[in-house]
Amino acid sequence: MPKVIGYAVLAATFTAYLVVYTTSLGHLPTSFDYLSLLNTALPLVLVAAGQSLVVLTGGIDLSVGGMVGLGVAIMAATSGGGLAASLGWIAVVLAAGLLCGTANGLIVAKGRIAPILTTLATLSVYSGLALKVLPVPGGSVAPEVRAVLTNPDLPTALLWLGLVVAGWLVLRRTRFGMRVYAVGSDETAARAVGVPAARVKVAVYALSGLCSALAAVFYVATTTSGDPNAGTSYILTSIAAVVVGGVAFSGGRGSALGAIAGALSLTLVVDVLFFAGIDPLYQSLFQGLFLVVAVLLGGATLRLRRAAS
Amino acid sequence: MIGPMLERVTPDTRRIAYAVAAAGAILAAGAIVHPGFASWTSLRAMIIVASFIGFVAAGQMLVVLVGGIDLSMPWVLNGAAIVVTTTSLGRTDRLGQAVLAALAVGAAVGLANGLGVAWLGVPAVVMTLGMNGVMEGLSLGLSKGLTCPSCASYVPDPLHRLVVGRLGPVPTELLVWAGVALFVTVLLTFTTFGRRVYAVGTNPRAAFLAGVPVRLVTVVLYTLSGVFAAFAGIALVSYGGQPSLGLGDPYLFESIAAVVVGGVSILGGRGHYAGVVAGSVTLVAIVTLLQAQRVPEYGRDVIYGLVILAILFTYGRERADD
Repeated sequence: MPKVIGYAVLAATFTAYLVVYTTSLGHLPTSFDYLSLLNTALPLVLVAAGQSLVVLTGGIDLSVGGMVGLGVAIMAATSGGGLAASLGWIAVVLAAGLLCGTANGLIVAKGRIAPILTTLATLSVYSGLALKVLPVPGGSVAPEVRAVLTNPDLPTALLWLGLVVAGWLVLRRTRFGMRVYAVGSDETAARAVGVPAARVKVAVYALSGLCSALAAVFYVATTTSGDPNAGTSYILTSIAAVVVGGVAFSGGRGSALGAIAGALSLTLVVDVLFFAGIDPLYQSLFQGLFLVVAVLLGGATLRLRRAAS
Repeated sequence: MIGPMLERVTPDTRRIAYAVAAAGAILAAGAIVHPGFASWTSLRAMIIVASFIGFVAAGQMLVVLVGGIDLSMPWVLNGAAIVVTTTSLGRTDRLGQAVLAALAVGAAVGLANGLGVAWLGVPAVVMTLGMNGVMEGLSLGLSKGLTCPSCASYVPDPLHRLVVGRLGPVPTELLVWAGVALFVTVLLTFTTFGRRVYAVGTNPRAAFLAGVPVRLVTVVLYTLSGVFAAFAGIALVSYGGQPSLGLGDPYLFESIAAVVVGGVSILGGRGHYAGVVAGSVTLVAIVTLLQAQRVPEYGRDVIYGLVILAILFTYGRERADD
């Protein structure tokens, strides 16, 4: 499925959001609404971007839940030291994510254990470490950090989203970006033409870890507190975002931009359901249907286009 | 005696042997550091807990054998658990219809999964993840967050006694599990359907060309997977007496872990339920041992993950490409 599907889904959910918001409140969403939406969406956008890199190589990363949890735990447990200390701890969080991701990549590439199994096992390990760092939910975040990362009054979130998109656009054009697609399309062929497949795999898992760590930083900045289990919900939602964004599970097709669009769509759907007055208890029913229908429509359009050409 | 046995060691039986050896190793290690760990009393308790994993893993294994996966397990399980109590209202005379209703829910979700995967071409991950959401929404919504008047009901007593009861020294739950194991093993090993399952799992294209109704086989497997998830839900709620929300959450990853630790290839086509039984016991034995050693929760998570990794390194590796 091409990434166009991801944009189409995003456009559709955004239209639905405008309609239900306006009909229920009587005016168009304000810039404050958009910014808080973006702030809420940023952690999922980041995790989904990392997840899409892994899926592009034909793998999957279930340990994002543990890596986000570990990052959140470190951020929350070390809060209260002012801006300089916070920046130092953010660096530690990013290093931890990179380390966890590299470990995943090494086990997958060198250990030859299926990605789903590797990351299932490391999910347990990283979640355990998160519990060790922060046994009970709590902590806070320095106001300076919050002002820079997720200021609800300034369009900082837009800037960060732009950076993520720009990062992907650059990455895709590098040799590494080409290799990610090569490994995902046909690993044997990629090896035959000299692509260091193992190194590429280690790198995508490491990047996924880094993205999860960044997501943790933004999560704490948005919610202003930490929960060692905060990452759990991102496992399945990041996979859903990747799927809605039109990235193929077989690898080699799709783009991180699609996954980012998917993540934004999934966040919008929650608001659409809220403003449409749907009982929150039924929320996951509609999210599940949304997921299946989005993929079905994507598949159908693809088949139509193939038939037409 | 040993000679002919060795000659018959195929890669398949070796996989079962590895899984049984892993379970044996954990139990032996437990017996050494914690006297009484491998006693019959302690084993009995572990078998009951392992059987719940064994039931969900039976369903998970069936779809993994054809290279699929079922992520809808948690809320099919949870939904079935709620249906059993709300339909029976704790009354023994409504037990039959309650169990049937719960199994029917599982079958319906499984059927939807199978149709979506086989006929609509939706990837298994997406279809089953979506259906998990649908079941979560329905379970929460219809039971009003488990606050409905009938949600306070308990399971009928005979069901509770079936799971916790004993027949002489043997837990009745073990007999139920043996029945499930017999069903799955006979289905996969001695029927045409079973041979078709392995054929589809090994090479769907070749199976199709050989005249195997690939789509039909896939739909039946997903339906059975839903039924087994519901079965686990019935067993689990019978054990605890009342349903709770999130009851099924741990069972998604546990079912996959049990299947793989049981020597089933995640790529499909290889594996037997005997190994999965051993895998389920292994997982429960690890957790029980860590609890008996009073390892704190974080340590349990870390060690559990590392032990599974170690097991995968021993016999779960893929072939090298070069």
